Amino acid sequence: MANLKEVRNRIVSVNSTQQITKAMKMVAAAKLRRAQDNITRIRPYADKLDGILSNLSASLEDASDNIYASEREIKRVLIVAITSDRGLAGAFNANVLKGINTFIQANYSPAFAMGNVEYMALGKKGFETLQRRKDVTALNGDHAFVFGNLSFDAARPAAEWIMDRYVTGYYDKVVVVYNEFKNVATQIIRTEQFLPIVAPAASATSTTSTDYIFEPSKEEIVEELIPKSLKIKFYKYLLESYASENGARMTAMDKATDNAKELLKALKLEYNRSRQAAITKEILEIVGGAEALNG
Amino acid sequence: MLQLDILTPDKKVYSGEVKWVNLPGAAGAFEVHQNHAAIISTLGKGDLKLVEANNIEKHFSVDGGVVEVLNNKVVVLAEAVTA
Repeated sequence: MANLKEVRNRIVSVNSTQQITKAMKMVAAAKLRRAQDNITRIRPYADKLDGILSNLSASLEDASDNIYASEREIKRVLIVAITSDRGLAGAFNANVLKGINTFIQANYSPAFAMGNVEYMALGKKGFETLQRRKDVTALNGDHAFVFGNLSFDAARPAAEWIMDRYVTGYYDKVVVVYNEFKNVATQIIRTEQFLPIVAPAASATSTTSTDYIFEPSKEEIVEELIPKSLKIKFYKYLLESYASENGARMTAMDKATDNAKELLKALKLEYNRSRQAAITKEILEIVGGAEALNG
Repeated sequence: MLQLDILTPDKKVYSGEVKWVNLPGAAGAFEVHQNHAAIISTLGKGDLKLVEANNIEKHFSVDGGVVEVLNNKVVVLAEAVTA
């Protein structure tokens, strides 16, 4: 039988662990709510922007010569890894890195990947992991800490950095790997091409074509709006990832709390058993002693 | 009256009925009154001035964006707006 005091100490420690995981679950739940609010708040803006844009692109004949959609020979690829700043979120960050590996294996030979695939990390965890990897030769971590205070203004510089380098021809393709938020328990790893823009399947434009006045001109408006909508798209990735992170953490902490509960149950049983054993032993000794005296 | 919405990615900055609004269009400032023709215009950096029903004026400073006017509804999309 285990030592009584030892078991008691373990019970105390498991108990406090359980309290911590419970608190972390609550915090994650609160943050998740806020993250979902953010997603809802961006929607009117994003929808309106998309509406105007599709209204315009439909009336523009050669939307293909837009600088963000030029398909060219792929010489240098940027992979944007969106992870979290903190751990204890289950397989959240590991999944992103796994997603990157799968993507590279499926699309590029190791020799090509060695020198021509560059990385950008958003989120401290991904940054640290990528930094340690030997096959990662170029890693941008300037914007790794956007999640500290996530807002559109914080996300904008990162998106602009990427877009600049695509437009100047440094990168020929930009791929984003992130967790999509499906629900609290489920996050889906997505590998999406950010640039060049994948032309949406030309929907039969049913938009009521109002006779708009365009100022300064259709082309200029489209030129101005495309980068805006790209930045929004990028911000959406971050919001999705942030919501997923907190969902994942909530689930992980919930499981940890359950595990602690089970452990406590087993420990308490063991504690009571050893306590009872000690008492029985003592009684036996007393009875034995008394009998010896009587005898 | 016009229904005016000023949106940024982070929040709805303004939403309400206004008499008219003055916008810093990229090709020059312009005013939108009731029954303005449908227009889509980009915005430059500048001051957005609106007048509410009770003649109260409000100012916002806009850092680029786009505006759509349709059927007495004005939607301003801007990346950064400060009151």
